[in-house]
Amino acid sequence: MEKVVADPRPAKQPWNKSSKLASFKGGRGIADATLIALAVVLAGVVFSLLLSVLWSVISAGAGAMSPQFLYQNNRYISTTTSLEYGGVGHAILGTLWLVLLATLVALPLGLAIAVYLTQSQSKLRNLVRSITQALAGLPSVVSGLFVLSIISFLGAQKSGIFGALALFPLMLPTVARVAEEALRLVPADLRLAALGLGAPNYRAFFQVILPAAKSGIITALLLGLARVVGETAPLILTIQANNGTNLNPFDGGVATLPTYIYGFISAGYASSITRAWGASLVLLILVGILFITARLLTADKKKKAKK
Amino acid sequence: MPKEAVRRKLGTGVLNRGDRLFFGITSAASYFAFILVALILVFLIAQAFPALKDQGLAFVYGSTWEVTPEKAVMQIGPMLYGSVLIALLGVLLATPMAIATAYLIVFILPKSPAKLATNLIDLLAALPSVIIGLWGVLVFTPIAQGWADFLHKNFGWIPLFATDKGTTSLNSSPFIAGWIVAVMIVPIITSVTREIFSQFDRELINGALALGATRWTVFRRVILPTASGGITGGVLLGLGRAIGETVAIYYVLQLSMKINLFQILEPRGGAIASWILSRFGEATEDEFHGLMAAGLVIFITTLVINLIANIIVNKAQPWRK
Repeated sequence: MEKVVADPRPAKQPWNKSSKLASFKGGRGIADATLIALAVVLAGVVFSLLLSVLWSVISAGAGAMSPQFLYQNNRYISTTTSLEYGGVGHAILGTLWLVLLATLVALPLGLAIAVYLTQSQSKLRNLVRSITQALAGLPSVVSGLFVLSIISFLGAQKSGIFGALALFPLMLPTVARVAEEALRLVPADLRLAALGLGAPNYRAFFQVILPAAKSGIITALLLGLARVVGETAPLILTIQANNGTNLNPFDGGVATLPTYIYGFISAGYASSITRAWGASLVLLILVGILFITARLLTADKKKKAKK
Repeated sequence: MPKEAVRRKLGTGVLNRGDRLFFGITSAASYFAFILVALILVFLIAQAFPALKDQGLAFVYGSTWEVTPEKAVMQIGPMLYGSVLIALLGVLLATPMAIATAYLIVFILPKSPAKLATNLIDLLAALPSVIIGLWGVLVFTPIAQGWADFLHKNFGWIPLFATDKGTTSLNSSPFIAGWIVAVMIVPIITSVTREIFSQFDRELINGALALGATRWTVFRRVILPTASGGITGGVLLGLGRAIGETVAIYYVLQLSMKINLFQILEPRGGAIASWILSRFGEATEDEFHGLMAAGLVIFITTLVINLIANIIVNKAQPWRK
C-alpha cells in the first residue's frame, strides 16, 4: 500500500485516485461508472456481511453479558438455566491456558524458522518456506485428527495438553511467516556492521537484530495467538469438556470458549443460544484485542522506519 | 583474519562454536517443519489403514455409511463431492467480491479509508469459524433463504435452481454453505490480489490512459491479465481453505449420504470435514479408522492444492523473495 512518489508532480498524474472520478460523461464515462459502481456494490456486499457478523455478535452477546458471566463457571448449569447463573470464566481461563501452552512451543520454533529463512545461506531455504506455507493451509480438523491418532497410539486419555498440541501446528506457520517479514525489515547493514565489528552471528542476532525487530516479533506472536484462539474442531476432537475450572493439562477435561460455544449452540434452547452468543462476544473481544494491538505495533514501526 | 571475517559475513565457511550452535538450532527447527508434515501423514495413514484396507477404493466414491458391530461399510463419495461443490460455489461467489474489494482499496479509495478497509478485511480473516457458524445458522440462513426462494421461484426451470418434489423450506443447502465459505475465503483472495495490485507498475497504467484507454479498458486489458496469475493462486488458497472448513459448514448444512449433484438450493449436501465432526461423537472402533481415512483424504487434497497455490503466488510476487 505504500506509495513511492518519485514524480514531483503526483497530483497531476492522470489516473491519480479520485482526480478523474468526476468525469462520467459520454460512452467512456458510462463504462468507467459501471466499473466503479460494480466494484462498490461487490465490495459493499463483503463489508455488509462483515458488519452483520460483528453487529449480531455484539447485540446478541450483550444480552448475556454481566460480571458474573465473565467469572463464574458452568457447574450445575443446564442448557435452560436462567442467565443470572453461570458463566464462561472457566472457559476463558481454559482457552488462555491452552493457547499459552501452544505458544511456548510455537513461538521459539517459529522464530527459529524465521531466522533460518532470513540469516542462513542454506540452499534448502525455499523448500522450508514452501513447506511452512503449505502447513499454513492445514485444515484445523486434520490437526485435531492427527493429535487424536497420537492419543490413540499412546493409549492416553484426552486432556488439555493434547488440545494445546493440536493448536501448535496451526500456530507455527503464522508465527514463522510474520516473524520472517519482521526480520526482513531490519536493514541488512545493521547485521553486517555487527559482524564487521567482530560479533559472531548469534550475538549479532540477539543483540542487534532481535531488539530492532522486537515489535514485529510481538506482532507475530499476537497474530499467531489470534489464529488459534478461536479454533474449534481440533479442540472438540482432542479434549473433554468440563463444567468447572481445570488448569491441569495432563488430567481431566478443560473448558474453552470455542468448545463452550459449540456445546451451547448444539443444545438449541433460547437461553443456551444466548450463552453461545455471549461467549462469542467474549471470544470476539479477545481476537479483537490481539488483532488491534498487532496492527498498532506494525503501524508504529512503519512510522518509525519512515523517520 | 580479514578473510575469516568476510567468510563469517557471508555466513559460510569457518564458524565459531556459538554460531555453529545458533545455526544448528535454527536449521533443526526448520527441518522440524518437514518432520511435522511427515508425522501428520504417518499417523493419519497408520490409523486410516485398517479402514482403507477393508473398504478399498469404494471408500472414496461409494455412497453408503452403515456401521454395525458386525460389519462396517464406510464410503464418503457424497461428502467428498459435496466439499468440492461447496468450495467451488464459495470461490465463485468470493472471487468477484475479492477482486472488487482489492481494486477499490488499491486504485480508487483515498489512503486512509483504504487502510481501514484493509484492516477490516484482515479482521474478517481472523474471525473464528465457530462465530461465523453461529451467525450463519441464526442470522444469515433466514436471509439467504429469501434469496433462495427468489431464485427458485423465478429461475426454478434451470436445473441448478430446481428442487426435489415436496421440498418446502430452502435452508441448510449447499447454496447457503457456499455463501458461508465465501465469507471465510474472501479475505484470503483479497489480500493476495491487493498485494499484487499494489505492486503494479504505475507507468503501465499511465501509459494505457495516455493512449486513450478508459478505466474499464485499463482494468480489463491491463490490470486483470497482468494480475491473473496471482489471483489464480489466491483463489486456489481459498479453495484449499474451503475444502478443509469444518465447524461453520457443520451448522448451516444438512449432511446427507444421498448425493446432491447440482441442485444447490436443495437442503441436502455433503462436506467431508463436517461429516467427521458429526460422526465423531458416537464413533465405534471401525468408524474411528474410517474417519481418520476421511481426514487423510482432506489432508492430501488440501496439501496438493496449497503447494500448487503457493508456487503460483510466489511466482506472481517476485518482490517477496
